[in-house]
Amino acid sequence: MGRRWIRWSHKRGMRSLVVPFIFLASVFLKLCFGIGSYSGENTPPMYGDYEAQRHWMEITVHLPIHQWYSYDLQYWGLDYPPLTAYVSWICGFVANLINPTWVALDSSRGIETDSSKFFMRVSVVVFDALIYIPAVLVFSRTWFGARSKRTQDLAFLLLILFPALFLVDFGHFQYNSIMLEGFTIMALNFFATEHDLLGAVSFVLSLGFKQMALYYAPAIGSYLVAKCILSGPTDGGRLFIRLGFATVATFILLFLPWIPPFSASPTLIIDPISRIFPFARGLFEDKVANFWCASNVIIKWKKWAAQEMLVKAAAILTFLGFLPSVIVMGKVAWDLKVWNKSPEEKLVETKDDPKPEESSSHTPILPLLPYALLNSSMSFFLFSFQVHEKTILLPLMPLMLLFSGATPGSEVYQWGALGSNVAVFSMWPLLQKDGLSLPYFALIFLWNRVVGYDPIGIIYTAFPFKSFVHLMSAGVYAAVIFLHFSEQIISPPARYPDLFPVLNVLISTPVFVCLWLWSIKCCVQVSWALTGPSGFEEADGQPQHRKRPSIAVNDASQMRSSFVAKSDRTRAVSLGPAQGKRVRRSSTRSAAGTASSTALPSSPSVFRGTIDSSVMEGRAAASPK
Amino acid sequence: MQLEADTSSASRTTWLDPSAWDILILSTVIKVLLFPAYRSTDFEVHRNWLAITHSLPISQWYYDTTSEWTLDYPPFFAYFEKILSIPASFVDPKIVDLNNLNYDSWSVILYQRTTVIVTELVLGAVLLKFIRGAVDPPTQRIISASLFLHPGFLIIDHIHFQYNGFMFGILLWSILMARNGSKLASGILFAVLLNFKHIYMYLAPAYFVYLLRSFCLSPSGQIEIKNFLALANAVIAVFISSLAPFALMGQIQQLLSRLFPFTRGLNHAYWAPNAWALVTAVDRVLLKYAKSTGTDLHINLAGVASTSRGLVGDTVFAVLPNVKPLHTFTITLALQSIILIKLWFHPTYKSFLTALTLCGYSSYLFGWHVHEKAVLLILIPLSLLAAERHAYFRTFVIATVAGIFSLFPLLFTPAESNIGVLYSILWFALLYLPLSKRVYEFPKSLSYVILDVLEKTYLGGFVFLQIFVAAFPVVASWNSRRDEIHNSGNSMEFLPLMVTSVYCAVGMVWGFMRLIFIYLHEDTTYQGQLSTIQ
Repeated sequence: MGRRWIRWSHKRGMRSLVVPFIFLASVFLKLCFGIGSYSGENTPPMYGDYEAQRHWMEITVHLPIHQWYSYDLQYWGLDYPPLTAYVSWICGFVANLINPTWVALDSSRGIETDSSKFFMRVSVVVFDALIYIPAVLVFSRTWFGARSKRTQDLAFLLLILFPALFLVDFGHFQYNSIMLEGFTIMALNFFATEHDLLGAVSFVLSLGFKQMALYYAPAIGSYLVAKCILSGPTDGGRLFIRLGFATVATFILLFLPWIPPFSASPTLIIDPISRIFPFARGLFEDKVANFWCASNVIIKWKKWAAQEMLVKAAAILTFLGFLPSVIVMGKVAWDLKVWNKSPEEKLVETKDDPKPEESSSHTPILPLLPYALLNSSMSFFLFSFQVHEKTILLPLMPLMLLFSGATPGSEVYQWGALGSNVAVFSMWPLLQKDGLSLPYFALIFLWNRVVGYDPIGIIYTAFPFKSFVHLMSAGVYAAVIFLHFSEQIISPPARYPDLFPVLNVLISTPVFVCLWLWSIKCCVQVSWALTGPSGFEEADGQPQHRKRPSIAVNDASQMRSSFVAKSDRTRAVSLGPAQGKRVRRSSTRSAAGTASSTALPSSPSVFRGTIDSSVMEGRAAASPK
Repeated sequence: MQLEADTSSASRTTWLDPSAWDILILSTVIKVLLFPAYRSTDFEVHRNWLAITHSLPISQWYYDTTSEWTLDYPPFFAYFEKILSIPASFVDPKIVDLNNLNYDSWSVILYQRTTVIVTELVLGAVLLKFIRGAVDPPTQRIISASLFLHPGFLIIDHIHFQYNGFMFGILLWSILMARNGSKLASGILFAVLLNFKHIYMYLAPAYFVYLLRSFCLSPSGQIEIKNFLALANAVIAVFISSLAPFALMGQIQQLLSRLFPFTRGLNHAYWAPNAWALVTAVDRVLLKYAKSTGTDLHINLAGVASTSRGLVGDTVFAVLPNVKPLHTFTITLALQSIILIKLWFHPTYKSFLTALTLCGYSSYLFGWHVHEKAVLLILIPLSLLAAERHAYFRTFVIATVAGIFSLFPLLFTPAESNIGVLYSILWFALLYLPLSKRVYEFPKSLSYVILDVLEKTYLGGFVFLQIFVAAFPVVASWNSRRDEIHNSGNSMEFLPLMVTSVYCAVGMVWGFMRLIFIYLHEDTTYQGQLSTIQ
């Protein structure tokens, strides 16, 4: 449906209006969601997440800054990093201007008037429009720079219609689109355009908004370190120091009000830190579709092991979980490094492929980044301590980024659709509790229609199955539909009141585990495409062999027709969009005559070949002979 | 490439093409999301009717006064409610409990909102039929889609709560039958529609003249006795099936007194943007002027009292002479007779469609106690003419923008009103862009250019009007907070409503003038594609 309408509007000469339309339509949908219920509506005395956010506006606007993290902690004390507090302060300030009763200190607790609800809903929509939507727009323009305008528009539409985010932000009520999506995607955009420092800063902002962004830290950190390795000891070292400096400076800026010259006492810094990292809670809350909760059905972890023990186990497993992507990232960087070659080799290279090293130095590893993000955040979700079901949004984000550019039917597409649907499903108990059943079904229905994905059709065509992911999707969807129906008909037996949530966890967890394994597989495949598996280099110089690794990546695609396979190949290095972007940038820059010194190639004609071959040549040239 | 294959295979296997499915799914999702939205008293009205028709014998239906929302629609609608009440009693027996007033649990919301969506499928089916056999199918497709997604239906049916989608489905079905040449079916369907909701009497004169001239008389003026008898008998049969039970019980008098309560005032609570809104506004301005200058005008004291009560209740003019129901009827009939004479001499499909719109239009502009929701009677048939020529299109744009804007005051809660505004903007943009390219004509003379600029300025004014309406309460609350003693904002409470009403009324009246001008000059100047249909 999404494709059809974008094509229609392009044909009808409304090309330039597609983005504003999508934006307005999404705002409309968000407001429609806003009509519905939210977390903790009509449930005094504590209410829910909605009241927590509103309460933070109330305290930040009325209290001096050093009391923010210490005021009446029993009633939704502030436990997010400072950027959240600042954002709350802005909202609170505006609310105070319009109608002071919405955020009156203490007396406004649990206020649920129509107008205050509308204000809160609009505040999410506004921040979403200010941070998330520009980030997504830039993402669709930079990362898919080599693809058609339609694909870019479609990617924009798909990223805006991120179902899990929709339900959590505009239904349940939170500001995830700022942290998770906005700043992190912005960081990715900066990386893609080689502004690594800005990227690092915006990632720190994301961390400063919600500590959960730590899930991405291994991937982003290893990416930046890999980039430093690529650049060589002098350039890389300088970059490393700059990055370190930028990161620390941003952190200090964020925490400035709690640091001595600005705060009354040096111990105040402990307030926010201890609030942000609560180590005293349990292994998991409620029912979360992660490893601990799912295995808890068989092994009662809490009885079997002590708290500290479990914390350590969780930390080790998480570390092992994201290790593969870190290793792959490092290995690729090491293989591609160009700085320790002899001058003669460099000369040969420049003959083969006259790309100046600076421009090719870091972009080769960019395609790895989304998979690495998926890997690290999914391992955190599955194995780490004190995970919440809403946290599935974090692993989902890189998956949706991959999904937004995938061809229908390709492997990435199938995994993405499955992951998104199951993620939404895994939040079902939460959403049901919030009174969001109708929006839940409506959105799942709409989203699958928009992306042109048909779960029922997948069940029908389960046998003979075409791929593992196809079979798995069919099984999972059948189970999901069965669960939804039986929940309506049967009431759970008294002995197992949590029967359905537990079943939900048992259905969702395997999917997430598979996604995690798949992300490792993809990391390795992309790294092969970039460096070539060992022992592959003997045949260097022969085109048919050069193509091999990229097909390996895309055996992925399950496409039989050669045309599609080819188009898919570009996609597979796929998120190797950076290559395309470089083509465009180089040509525009040189055309403008601003090719500032060595940073970019001066002869765009080299890049006019197919993207594929340029990738491959670059790879072949860079790999050690 | 693969996509093309996808769509073609889909259209082969299903009876709805993919884009129709898309629209259906998208609109249903939006409507479902709006389930918890604000509901007007009409929701309780219809719930009460479910209870009346379910728990009382038919002889009591038009006598029951348990709730203040008595049954005041014609019998077919009562039968319709009776049918709906049967599943309702299975869903939740409390829905059809007569004494369970103002019942608003989730079950009844879910049930009643769902019935609106389901019955609206009649509209969707008819609009699909319109595409098949249209003069210009791609354009008709856009118009059909726009009608199905009309913001009027979203606001009135799916938020405010009524069954207009269903009944306009029947009206359009009847129009479709007229287009396809089965005029007998068209007449029968319209008779059925009249027995669902009597507001469609606004359109009846056009039907009467059209069917009489083109169906019961031959082109040369000879009476076609067979056709005449067929139509007369069919229409009488429809009315008998509707009214017979009540006639046998001798309740016709009571039924009519319920259907036509003549005790209401000239304007509804919020002035519908018609000619009387302009007259009332002029009266208010004159009163202010008379008060401030002390001019010796004859001032009706009841009228002064009427202004101070704001806009609610009966309207009595302070300066201008009062308007009686008789006056409104005379003006309406005079205007309609001009249109009908034209229709008599040109009984083509397009002429009928325009005359139909104009009949509804003149009743809306000059009728007694017109409700703003009646604007759909103009907008829906007018949409079918939208792609005719640039002149029609421009009329359609002005009337649609003014008409839909005049519906916004129905939604006064912050979330719903913004949703309504945003939806209307999106809908309008998606309709305007493709259609305006389709009908573009180069302006012929300077006067056209001036007119064009003036109309565009008027349309642009709606943006500022919306900003004013949205900002007014906030600014007023600031002022009242600043000086709580003076409390001057109180008498201005209704100002946004009044401004909205007057501004929209200007557009509605102008649209009417345009359309009637076009209609009277149609066969010479404004022939469009629909003229090919006889």
